[in-house]
Amino acid sequence: MGARRRPVTYLVLLPVLVLVLSACSGTSEEGGGTTGAGGVKQGGVLRLGTSSGLTSLNPFVGFNQDDYSVWMYIYPSLLQYDTTTSSYDYMGGFAQEWEQSTDGLTVTFKTVPNATWSDGEPLTAEDVAWTFNMIKQYEKGPTGAWAGSVTFLDTIEATDDNTVVATYEQPSGTALFDLGMTMILPPQVWEQYATGDGKAIRAFPNEPEGGEPLVGGGPFILTEYKKNDIALFERNPTYYGTKPYVDGFGLQFFRDEDAMITALKTDQLDAINEIPPTSVETLESAGMEVYKGLGLSLRDLIFNLDPEGQQRPELLDPQVREAMEYAIDRDAIVETAWLGYASPGSTIVPEGNNAGGVDWHDPSVQPLPYDLAKANEILDSLGYTRGSDGIRVAEGRPMEYEVVFPLDEAGAGDRAFRIMQQSFKEIGITLIQKRLDTNAAWNAMYDRGHYIFDLAMWDWFPAADPDFILAVLTCDQWGNWNDTGYCTEEYDKLYKEQKSAVDPTERQQIVYEMQQLAFKDRPYVILTYDTRLDAWSPKWTGFVPTIQGIFNNFSTQSLSLVHQA
Amino acid sequence: MRRADYVIKRVAFAIITVFVAITINFFLFRVLPGDAVRNLSRVPRASEEFRHSLEVQFGLDKPLWEQYLIYLRELSRGNMGVSFSNQQPVWSNLREALLNTIPMATLGTVMAIVIGIVTGVLSAWRRGNTSDHVSTNLAIAFYSFPTQWLALVVLIYMSAWFPSHGMTDPFLIDPTPWEHFVDVMRHMALPSLVFALTLYGEYTLIVRSAMLETLGEDYVLTARAKGVPQRRIVVRHAFRNALLPTTTLIALSLGYIVAGAILIETVFSWPGIGNAVYQAVTERDYPMLQGAFLVLTISVVFFNLLADLLYFRLDPRITE
Repeated sequence: MGARRRPVTYLVLLPVLVLVLSACSGTSEEGGGTTGAGGVKQGGVLRLGTSSGLTSLNPFVGFNQDDYSVWMYIYPSLLQYDTTTSSYDYMGGFAQEWEQSTDGLTVTFKTVPNATWSDGEPLTAEDVAWTFNMIKQYEKGPTGAWAGSVTFLDTIEATDDNTVVATYEQPSGTALFDLGMTMILPPQVWEQYATGDGKAIRAFPNEPEGGEPLVGGGPFILTEYKKNDIALFERNPTYYGTKPYVDGFGLQFFRDEDAMITALKTDQLDAINEIPPTSVETLESAGMEVYKGLGLSLRDLIFNLDPEGQQRPELLDPQVREAMEYAIDRDAIVETAWLGYASPGSTIVPEGNNAGGVDWHDPSVQPLPYDLAKANEILDSLGYTRGSDGIRVAEGRPMEYEVVFPLDEAGAGDRAFRIMQQSFKEIGITLIQKRLDTNAAWNAMYDRGHYIFDLAMWDWFPAADPDFILAVLTCDQWGNWNDTGYCTEEYDKLYKEQKSAVDPTERQQIVYEMQQLAFKDRPYVILTYDTRLDAWSPKWTGFVPTIQGIFNNFSTQSLSLVHQA
Repeated sequence: MRRADYVIKRVAFAIITVFVAITINFFLFRVLPGDAVRNLSRVPRASEEFRHSLEVQFGLDKPLWEQYLIYLRELSRGNMGVSFSNQQPVWSNLREALLNTIPMATLGTVMAIVIGIVTGVLSAWRRGNTSDHVSTNLAIAFYSFPTQWLALVVLIYMSAWFPSHGMTDPFLIDPTPWEHFVDVMRHMALPSLVFALTLYGEYTLIVRSAMLETLGEDYVLTARAKGVPQRRIVVRHAFRNALLPTTTLIALSLGYIVAGAILIETVFSWPGIGNAVYQAVTERDYPMLQGAFLVLTISVVFFNLLADLLYFRLDPRITE
């Protein structure tokens, strides 16, 4: 995951769910490949391939998507998303019941009684309060990676063994997500590091040692870890929820995607979390199951809207940006660049981005049609006449722009670029691709307080809750997540309103309004939304694929319900 | 030149080379566009202060020259620092990776040397006939194939028989030492094979030309005139002398074992030093990069030195 946008997408953590699992399975209890009462085969070890890999098992250090998914499976979390429903309603994890007061200032969770950590220590509401208090205490430093979990949080305490009460300084529309989808850590392991300046919190590797698994409380425990190679998980016998069918799973890291695809075809792997569009046909013809669903990611063309940094003033004109959107043939990009495994994009909240029972994507926002005549008409009306080479001239310079292109967009992104480059030529605009290593791309876009590029192409892998992707366009994120130099009072005001809107329906309306505003102001043209592609061997069944794939940090359902066919 | 002089000069030169490399390594990565903490701090729930706190923790808020002095000071104490990305000591990361790379690369190099010498000697012996042409052309072809391309071809065509990634089968439960050994060897087969294929051509060509040179010497003619059997001429008289340049080449190429692993390890997901370097570059993990390049530098310099010294020992003409 590269620097920018890929870094962790989101979050949500873990535990599993008592309710849903028990409803779905009815059987449990292990056995090496035996068939349970419900006809589901028990046992076996699932071999899961990934090309991303883990950076660190320490939640305050790791930053890859896979890191977050691992924490989901090995640590308890108060809530999860029910990924078996399309609206991703919240469901109980370590919390069985939860309630947010109508003023939005208090949230109460009732946790599962008599739960234990994998080392036998009691797992109680006390541990929940301890975790959040620790994050809060060190949020400006060592625990900064999880500071968002304690936004507006005033106090959090266990009023008894099974009750946690959190109070807020101001109403929080994301409190359930913030508290519910954060990992709960075992204080018996972490307390010794959370002292003094807290530096030891990040220095602790949190890896299995001396043959002892990591102390955890999720459906699986991590028993073995070899950097850049594998992580092995076994079913957690002390887990408070319904036990998974499999005895365990292994996460294997591949540097090379072709090698990973080959491994699945040759039975060296059972499943792959995210495959490239180009491998769909080869895997299907090899008899593998390929999941194709909506994905939580988008590809965008970015305009630099920083009035002081943008050297090409015409790009600050909304009409020019509108004309450019008319010159983008999204259907061609979907068909040619993505081999059909994408859909045309419109707003910054991807289609299918449901979370907590709410559909956050505003379907009323529709992309502009591909219409070169219209694009030319707008540019003509602005007086940007064509030079002898057919390229228009604006503000005394040819309309020739560099497009910063990070290498994590290579492949489909290159093809999309070429499609745009061709059609832009038709409207008298030249695009020049500036390919850069992912880390260097950001430096080519932002320097000492200002955005310095013309155009860029990149992607976002947002979180389930839309708060994150909406924050990206706020002034607060200038120089950080904000990659466009877009900064308006109107948008920022709406952002703050949604953040404090406790009623989901009210919040949804504000979120829709923000999408409409962002579409109109056009700091981005959203080109496409990815189709999520995962693959597995027909020897396995029962995965719960999500917009984030079969191994995700929305819930622990997928690997709890998977079993041998 | 006196022997001691020669040795001292070579060693001093090696030390200076390492020092210069350390300095270049330090500045090289910092000149690269890109930012070490950006990656780490850009997680969705991170606070704004998080990024700054990382800079302070890593010492990146200090002026460059001060960072450099700290680096030198710590290095002189044997401390290579702590990896930015996983917060573990660089040396323990590197040691683990090196221990994984060395057996695979060594096996590949040994295969390359054996194949290279055998084909080189045979080519020279059968100079001009079909087997010489075939062998020489194959050697040139393998020598020129891009490593990652060759690796992918091997992977695609041979992974039905051998594992295509990683070092062990993690699902082999409680293997006996023998089972473990077999498992590792099976995993090593493809990456080592690619290593051997990319390296052997060079040996073939050098051994062949060295052999041809010695086969043309007067003493070989004399031996022939004396009626010494052909096999004996080749092995005793020509081959021993042809080993001189070969030895140098072997010593030199040993130094590149570590560096050569990068492309191969990336294709086969071998958890070695090449893989670690690749990851460190993408993450701008300066301490890991500095550490890894220091190891690369030292191995190249060391084996160069070894080649110099060996040559000195093997070839008395050098002292003249």
